[in-house]
Amino acid sequence: MHRIIVTVILLVGLFYSLIVLASGMSKWRLPDNQQGYSPKQPIAYSHRLHAGELGIDCKFCHSAAEHGQHAGIPSTDVCMKCHKFVTSSFDVLQEEMKKSDKEKRKPNTIISAELKELYATLDLDDPKTPRPNGKANSIPWVRVHNLPDFVSFDHSAHVTAGVACQKCHGPVESMERVRQFESLSMGWCVNCHRDATENGIDGHAVNASLNCTVCHH
Amino acid sequence: MNYETSKPDNVNDASGDGARAADVDLHGGESPEISRRRFLEAAGFTFSFVALNGCSRPTPELALPFTEQPEGMIPGQSQSYASTCAGCPAGCGLLGGVRDGRPLKMEGMPEHPLSKGGLCAIGQALPLGLYDSHRLKHPLQRGEQAEWKQVDQTIIQTLEKVDASGGAVRFVTSTITSPTLRSSIDAFLKRFSDARHISFDSLSCSAILDAHEKTHGARLLPHYRLEDASVIVSFGADFLGTWISPVEFTAAWRTRRVPTAERPEMSYHAHFEGRMSLTGSNADRRFRLAPDEFGVVLSHLYVSLAERSGEVPQHDALTESPLAAADLAALAERLWAARGESLVLCDSQDVAVQVLVNAINYLLGNYGKTVDIARPSRQRQGSDRDLLELIDELRAGKVSALFVAGTDLTHNLPGHDTLAEAIGKVELVVSFAERQDDFASLAHFVCPDHHSLEAWMDAEPVSGLVSLSQPMLQPLGKTRSILESLARWSGHEDSAYDILRSSWETNILPRTMSTTATTLREFWDRSLHDGFVEVVPTENAATKVGDFDASSVNVIAGRGNAAEYCLTLYSKIGLTDSRHAHNPWLQELPDPVTKVTWDNYVSVSAATAEKLKLIDGDVVRVATPGNGASLELPTLIQRGQHDRVISIALGYGVKGTDRFAKVGPQWFEGRPTVEPGGLVGKNAASLIDPGNGSLSLVRSDVTLSKTDRRHDLASTQEYHSLEIPPNVAPHGAEVRDIVQKTSLPEFAKNPESGKPEHHFDGQLQLWPEDHAKEGHRWGMAIDMNACTGCSACLVACQSENNVPVVGKDEVRRQREMHWIRIDRYYGGDDDDVDVSHQPMMCQHCDNAPCETVCPVLATVHSDEGLNEQVYNRCVGTRYCANNCPYKVRRFNWFDYPHEDSLLNLSLNPDVAVRSRGVMEKCSMCVQRIEEGKIDAKRRGAPLVDGEIKTACQQSCPAQAIVFGDLNDAESAIHAADENPRGYGVLEEFNFRQSVSYLRVVRNRGDLQTDGGEHV
Repeated sequence: MHRIIVTVILLVGLFYSLIVLASGMSKWRLPDNQQGYSPKQPIAYSHRLHAGELGIDCKFCHSAAEHGQHAGIPSTDVCMKCHKFVTSSFDVLQEEMKKSDKEKRKPNTIISAELKELYATLDLDDPKTPRPNGKANSIPWVRVHNLPDFVSFDHSAHVTAGVACQKCHGPVESMERVRQFESLSMGWCVNCHRDATENGIDGHAVNASLNCTVCHH
Repeated sequence: MNYETSKPDNVNDASGDGARAADVDLHGGESPEISRRRFLEAAGFTFSFVALNGCSRPTPELALPFTEQPEGMIPGQSQSYASTCAGCPAGCGLLGGVRDGRPLKMEGMPEHPLSKGGLCAIGQALPLGLYDSHRLKHPLQRGEQAEWKQVDQTIIQTLEKVDASGGAVRFVTSTITSPTLRSSIDAFLKRFSDARHISFDSLSCSAILDAHEKTHGARLLPHYRLEDASVIVSFGADFLGTWISPVEFTAAWRTRRVPTAERPEMSYHAHFEGRMSLTGSNADRRFRLAPDEFGVVLSHLYVSLAERSGEVPQHDALTESPLAAADLAALAERLWAARGESLVLCDSQDVAVQVLVNAINYLLGNYGKTVDIARPSRQRQGSDRDLLELIDELRAGKVSALFVAGTDLTHNLPGHDTLAEAIGKVELVVSFAERQDDFASLAHFVCPDHHSLEAWMDAEPVSGLVSLSQPMLQPLGKTRSILESLARWSGHEDSAYDILRSSWETNILPRTMSTTATTLREFWDRSLHDGFVEVVPTENAATKVGDFDASSVNVIAGRGNAAEYCLTLYSKIGLTDSRHAHNPWLQELPDPVTKVTWDNYVSVSAATAEKLKLIDGDVVRVATPGNGASLELPTLIQRGQHDRVISIALGYGVKGTDRFAKVGPQWFEGRPTVEPGGLVGKNAASLIDPGNGSLSLVRSDVTLSKTDRRHDLASTQEYHSLEIPPNVAPHGAEVRDIVQKTSLPEFAKNPESGKPEHHFDGQLQLWPEDHAKEGHRWGMAIDMNACTGCSACLVACQSENNVPVVGKDEVRRQREMHWIRIDRYYGGDDDDVDVSHQPMMCQHCDNAPCETVCPVLATVHSDEGLNEQVYNRCVGTRYCANNCPYKVRRFNWFDYPHEDSLLNLSLNPDVAVRSRGVMEKCSMCVQRIEEGKIDAKRRGAPLVDGEIKTACQQSCPAQAIVFGDLNDAESAIHAADENPRGYGVLEEFNFRQSVSYLRVVRNRGDLQTDGGEHV
């Protein structure tokens, strides 16, 4: 008797897991393949706005990409180069200007919700006044592109060779929140290395090595 | 399907299905607690869960940027800081590689006038000391954690009391080369009526200093200039290993040790010693001589030289020389012919013997040439006499305050217990030790100094050469610079940086050699950038010269020695005195001669061992009946050891080293590195002879007896042999030409002399067409004539490539992980032993035997000639290691411990930390090759020869290693490849290695050129 019960339970479980797995089939991936990973960030920074709409060059903020292995996440003082003055979106500021003109008063400082969080990390009340005894903290960004420890990837080598940032990172300029666009798997890397050696990058020949130790050491 | 088991306890088993019966049968009637089927079910579920887990998202990893990025800092890129190595007082130039705020890799500074780019094993191992979690992080007051404020207050109050009562204040340090620290100590002591600063070196050159006081009117240590010496005769001075400034001496010695076909010249190096030292093993001619007979041979040498000069002093009858008259005459002749460019060195602690050495060097006209007293060395300042006086004062209870820095006073001195009792009588005892060492545990206050990589400091190792040390990171604990501690107790609040700057303003800047006016800022910035600055040397203190007469011979003339044994205490490379005993890299560094790790031992000659029926590992008892001290240590039979000499290394048995009990992998058959209740090795300082006004490391009043116990030593030399065992060797191949040697006269006739006749054409290739190496082809050449075997490369490699420490038991099981080892070969007999050191690492063969046997292609060949090891493909069959003729592959039997998160900061992020079950080996620092290539790409310029340096090459004090692109016709490696001395180890097998060796050339006519034995 109990054998029948066990069989029924097992069958029910099997069907249930098949349904669950089938529904998520589109998201299946091999272990460590994080394609599509798009974690929530501590500050809702928009690459679409900065890199897309405003057209700021990637390397303006990720300046280390040209010089070293890590592209680096810009330090907060890079943000503050602009956001000492730009405290909210253009439309909101424009409207306040018009309104203040009409009402014959000085415009109020309007700080967007995201920038409030930015200033909070630096312990600033508004962009120009540091709090007495304030302590600036790093912004705890969540890492999106994370290669395993046994892989070495050097940004500067690829940037110097003329590989566009989008080749690996996808159309970041259209992403509100960054997500991992490509699989960043070894097969994907190797295919690009083969293709680059065969066809060159932007018309110039490159030698993208296929030796194992180029990435694994 | 309804079997019943015969076992009653299975009857009630609810899940008793068919498998039960099978299980019971398989296990011979006994039921295991969990059936095989149940186990497989559970395992299956577990594995599927693990697999499913892999498909989930990772736990979010944070990336924390700076709030303000420091200028010029690029994340992940290494920056070099010029500094001074503080591992010993030699003061070598250091370039600290700092990445993302943490010092990782110490490199030698190529521009440094003394070390010339070399850095020894100790310097390489500094980061491990920095990230040592056992280092004190706060001051201690009577062994309890305390606050600086409270400590300062109590010390100041006690000092005021001492000052008022006129009590004696004594400040003991190891040699201090820092002018700023010296003046700080002087300033601190000035206010006390009876205060003295005493320098104490556990490996002292006190006798040389005292001898110069006698002969030259000033207590100074000459700066020996080996680069100017064509004949070097050393009596026991291990100048390539541990004596005064080994890196500097190695670099200087090397300049005259590399003959070329065009200039077949090299220096002649004769070495007299009782034990087998690294320097002795590199000499052209090594003589066995007990250290208590140095004086006798020196007196004969002096007289023999004086005869040649035509002025023989009237002297007493000499004791008969243990050295053959012909050898003595030949040596005297060589020295006399090289007047002004010869050098006689001696490590004796007997002032009379050192006076004789001075007389010989004077007679040879070496003063002002190879013996520089105008710019003396400050690398050893210790005075045994001062220290013995202090001990007497302490015993008499005459000292009120005792400060000790840079040395473990009680550990490094004999008579530990009575000394500890005497120190107990002192009112105020302060230690600056970085950990609670033997003396610090007696101290009332421990005021830990920063680690040298955290602190501002300066050094003047040789008069006129001042260098700076700069901090490479914020202090990890609440430690405080000794400069600041002294300032606080003198009532100043200055920081160490300010103290250093103002000291430079008043003391160093006025000595500048710059002809144009320099501001302190310019001078400081330039010195800080360069790491060192050459300034006007302090005035020559020598007041007289040439005050020698027969008395210096007469003191020694009548001596005879009949003692049965002569005990020699020495220090090992890497450990020196006790200060580096907590560094596991240095503890696991095989001694360059004995190859033993993790222990000290009693070295005896084969004849002595036979006499006492000893074999390696038998515990013997060494006793000094005079003062009742004794020590029990395992025996090691040493080739070339004098029959009367027994030698023991100092610097072992250090308090707290029981922490290494569990240093390696912990598994069921594992044995602890340190026996329960024991320490790493035993402290031999109890055998130091404090008589005759010196702390003598040589004494003749010892007895040696066998005990019935054994203690296994972990030596790395007995395996990884490239020899064929004699019982299986084919006829004619009993001896392989692994080490090839020639003599200088032969070399002058034929630069290819020493080359054996091989029976292969060298052109056979396995894959001639499809593996064209058109871009780079990396290669390495090792000059065995320059290599001294000092093992700096070994620790450099360990630091660069995250090589784990495995512990004594694993070394015993032949599982040490070092990627580079130094094979040592003996030739000749005990009286005239000829030693060769051969660094051995992956040879990166083109026809690699390992590659063809790997079933998973985990080891493959790159198109740049490297033999690559791909960890993720490796499944651990170990076929490759079995098939490797050089035995250089290392297998990860375990996941070696990486639990200490502070210690993990020393790991190089460019190199993967290997996990259990994979093979690893030398990669020729492929991470550096890739970095160099990318660097060149960024610059848009082709790679320059010499730009990429492997870790072993960079640190080599002898510059014995050349690395580069064999396809570059202009490169140094290309030149080395065409050197007539070049050969490949086992090249007769046509492996077509990328590593070649340059043949040994000995400067002697009567060389035995058999290959030597790998024992």
